[in-house]
This record gives sequence, C-alpha cells and structure tokens, in this order.
Amino acid sequence: MQDQKRIKQLELYAAKCRQNVLRMIRAGGHGHVGGALSVMDVVTALYFDKMNIAPENPKKEERDRFLLSAGHKCLSQYAALAERGYFDKDILDTYGTFKSRIPGHPDMHKLPGVEANTGALGHGISIAAGMAMAAKLKGTDYHVYAVTGDGELPEGSNWEAAAASGKFGLDNLTVFVDNNGLQISGRVADVMNMDDIAGKFRAFGWGTAEINGNCMEEVVDILDHLPVQEGKPTAVIMHTTKAKGLYVGENKAEFHFWNPAPEDLDKADHDLELVVEELEKELEE
Amino acid sequence: MGEIFDPRKVFGQAVTEIAGTNRRVVVFSADSGKSSGFGEFMKKYPERYYECGIMEQGVVGMAAGMATAGIIPVFCAIAPFVTCRPYEMVRNDMGYMRQNVKLVGRNCGFTYSDLGATHQSLDDFAIMRMIPGMTVIAPQDPNEIKAAVRAMIKHEGPVYMRIGNPKIPNIMPEKEFIIGKGSILEEGRDITIISTGGTTAAVLDAVSGLKEIGISVRVIGMPTVYPLDSELVKESAEKTGVVLTVEEHYAEGGLGTLVSEACSELTNTKVFRLGVPAVYATTGSYEELLYYYHLDAEGIAGKVRKILAG
Repeated sequence: MQDQKRIKQLELYAAKCRQNVLRMIRAGGHGHVGGALSVMDVVTALYFDKMNIAPENPKKEERDRFLLSAGHKCLSQYAALAERGYFDKDILDTYGTFKSRIPGHPDMHKLPGVEANTGALGHGISIAAGMAMAAKLKGTDYHVYAVTGDGELPEGSNWEAAAASGKFGLDNLTVFVDNNGLQISGRVADVMNMDDIAGKFRAFGWGTAEINGNCMEEVVDILDHLPVQEGKPTAVIMHTTKAKGLYVGENKAEFHFWNPAPEDLDKADHDLELVVEELEKELEE
Repeated sequence: MGEIFDPRKVFGQAVTEIAGTNRRVVVFSADSGKSSGFGEFMKKYPERYYECGIMEQGVVGMAAGMATAGIIPVFCAIAPFVTCRPYEMVRNDMGYMRQNVKLVGRNCGFTYSDLGATHQSLDDFAIMRMIPGMTVIAPQDPNEIKAAVRAMIKHEGPVYMRIGNPKIPNIMPEKEFIIGKGSILEEGRDITIISTGGTTAAVLDAVSGLKEIGISVRVIGMPTVYPLDSELVKESAEKTGVVLTVEEHYAEGGLGTLVSEACSELTNTKVFRLGVPAVYATTGSYEELLYYYHLDAEGIAGKVRKILAG
C-alpha cells in the first residue's frame, strides 16, 4: 500500500493539470482533449514524483526523459510542465495563437522540457529507444519514459523499435500504452484490433504490466517497480478512460478532439474545481 | 587511368578512422554494415556498432534519439532504403528535430543497374533537399569521399551523403571539403558544365574530347548539392551564358533544378539539364545505363555539341 498522502497529493496535482488542459482548450477554442486527459495521471506522477528532473535546468545531462509518441496528447505534457514550473502559466493562454510556444503538437525547440517533435504517429518509441541507448553508451543512468496511444499501435515502426529495444536490453526504457480503447473512427478493437498488446511486447523481449492508468495508486506502484523484468524494456498497458475527468466526454470517441461550447467548458471547470477543493480538504485533514 | 577504389570501402574506412579519435561517432546498420565498408569498424568498436536488422524507419528514429544526447550516429544503407523508405523519420526526427545524424545512401543513382528501379535512387537529391536544414552532398571521387566524411562529422546538423558502388579513380588531389562550396575544375568560355557525384569524371573526359574540336568548357564540380553554391553558379552562368547540369539523378528535382532556381533571376542565361527522364530506369550493366541515358562521356559531349549548335 502506498503512502496515502503521497497518492492524494499526486491526485491533486493531476486535477490541477486537468484544469490546465481546460485552460488551454479555452484559449484555443478546441484541442485534443480525450487522450490528454486519459494519460494525465501517469504524466503527473512522472513529473511530480518519479523523474529525476530540474525545471530550472531543463537540459541537465543526466535528467530522465519523457516524450509523447502520441504527440497529440501534448496538452497533458504542457499542463504538467507548467504546473511543475518549467514556464510561466500565462503561456497556457497562448494555445492556438499565432507563433504559440505550445503548438498543437510538441516542439522541443519552443518549450523547455519538451524532448522530441512528435505528432506523426509511430515515431516516439524509436526516438525514446535511441535516448535510452545513448544513456547506456555514455554510462549514465537516466531513464526514458514514452507514452503511446493504442490507436497508434498499427504503425509498423512501433514494432521495429520494440524489436530493437528488446535486442539491446533497454531496461532504462518504459513505454506506457494509453489503452483507452477509442480512436477518431470509433473503437480501437473495430478499427484495427491490436490485442493482445502486452503479449506482442513480450514477444519482442519486453517485460509488461497492466494497470488501471487512472488509478494513482496503481500508477505510482508500477513506477516504483521499474523495470518489471531485469534487463528488459518495460511496456505498461494502461487501461484508461478517454477524456477522464471531463464528465461530459468520458469514454466517448468524439471527444478525441473537442470544440466545446462555452457553457460546457464552464461546467467542466466547475467539476474540476470541486475535485480540487475536495482533495485539498482531504490533504489538510 | 590510375588506381581505382570501392567508394563504400573508402567511406567505411574514413568513418572508422574518425571514430578512433571521436568517441561520439557510432554506426547503425540495417543489415547493411558490412556492405557499407564497416567491417573494420565492427571489429574495432563493437560497443559502438548497432546491428538492427532491416528496419530503416526504426533506425532513423533511434539515431535521432541518440543524437539528442550528443552522439553522432552514422547510418549507411542502399540509397532508396535510407531516403524513400524512412522519409517521414528523416523529415521529422532528423530535420524538424535538427538532430546531428549522418545518413548515407550507397549504391546511389543506378549503380545497382541490373537490380532495377526498387534499388535505384534517382530522386534522393530532390526529396532530401526539401527538408529544411538538411545538407546534401555527393563527393566526386575517393579522395573527396574521405574529405567529405570528415566534413560531415564536423558539421553540426543532419546530413545526407550519397556514394556509388563501382570502383572509381581519383580525379582530384585530396583537399579539404567545404560544405556549400563548389570548385572550378576547368576554365572555359563557351559553356559551363556543373556536375556532382560520380558523373564528374565522365564530364572531365567529355571536356577533354570537346577541347580537341575547339569547344571551351568551364567545369564546376559541385559536391554539395544543397545548400547550393549559388554565387559560383551565377558567376559561371553570367560568364558563359549557357549552363549544362549533369547528374545521375532525374533531370527534374535535383542539381539541375537547383541550378535553374539559382539562375532564374539572371537575364541572357540558358540552363540545360542532363539527367534521367521521369521514368523507372531500365536495367542492364552500369555502363549500358550510362550510355542509354547519355550520362557517359560520349553522351555528355553530344549534349554539349547539340546545345552549342543551337
């Protein structure tokens, strides 16, 4: 059992990060909300609990690396980076504006803490593997964390990277698969069923785990036990709810990308405010 | 003709030599290392040699990931397989991310003549030059391959280099390779020929024949295709009025197109382009293909005579 205060504190950060996501949606008028909210818990736990990082020195050589293979989930990363103090939160209000430093897919040259330019799917695991290989070659012990979507898995390049990561024994690489089961066209199982995801990674020489990716206790527990198998990269299949925390959109494919009416945003903000207040109260007790 | 060398071996040895002093240099193979001249590298630096099997998309991504940590990955394989196949990875992971990866397409042009269009690379200049920040080079002889390898490793940023397969002689003394600079190989008045890569040797042969019939040709060796040495191109175009580009590449989209772009604002200048027409090239021996597409000395000389005859 994890320390309950630690879990509650991370849940509070995750709720605040979700508020940041909505703040960006409000600024831009739209955005990829579904995937950003489904991975928000693991992204929060990484930035606030797990990773060896220094927001004041974002290029620190031995830092742990985090990148999104599913670059469209970038609102989750922007939200966490802002909450963690990498940049001023006012930047969140520039989402969707001309020359914004937080574009619709992440750009490492625009914002501190962003490690890769992703967006085209099927690139991230290869890039993350290369970062992990560099750590081993240089004898540094940083860890690389990547998030991929389940809808992204039919891209063959993922499995090229999976094979190589297994061969090179990248136990300093962890990939989180956001298995929310939905993509733009509908259910992942109908569009292109990639089950058994964990079995596929195991076949390529990975250790695997399956968790509820929206349960902070399970997220923290798996982060405390990486790699799950010595000498192997880890794939964590996270069963998540698309648009988690946005009650009107939870588990709905059409909330992959959201063009909200102002009243829907107001309601969502209000819901999250209640969550934050509740968690703050619990932490005080 | 002097001694001839396998361009792949010259390339691989040059990388191996640099790796002796630069520990940041690593080599990726997609089942392509031995044929890229890396036999010695594999033995000397096994910890810096990554055999990935045939997965060019994955290799480019991994190389870019490594480069983010200050490593200098070199990845060489058959030209279309490092350009067309992983193009999006080259564009995004190397180009957009501005990573210091060195991509090398060997058996370029139609040097894999009898293996057919899948293995030939007549579009690599065209697609690589469209990636902002990419440097595209095509050294012209073994001496220049060695110098180009040193320059490409020293250069900070993504580079695409193409080399051929058949053994070739040195046509120039060894000198420093300056990325972005062409050089005047012959002075002349009637026409300028601008050439790159392996075709420059044939151009020089053609020019010596043309000299005998009183045609004076200025020859520009242009081993950096992109960014183009526009100043030298424009100076030459203004001097001779007529320019012919020669390349083992489609006549559209490559060096000829770049030279045409550079000359587009000049008046009283004509640019002609000699290359392969927009077809999937036929098969045969390398010499047969060069002859068929007028890229041997005879074909180049014939093209010059035709242009000057008006």
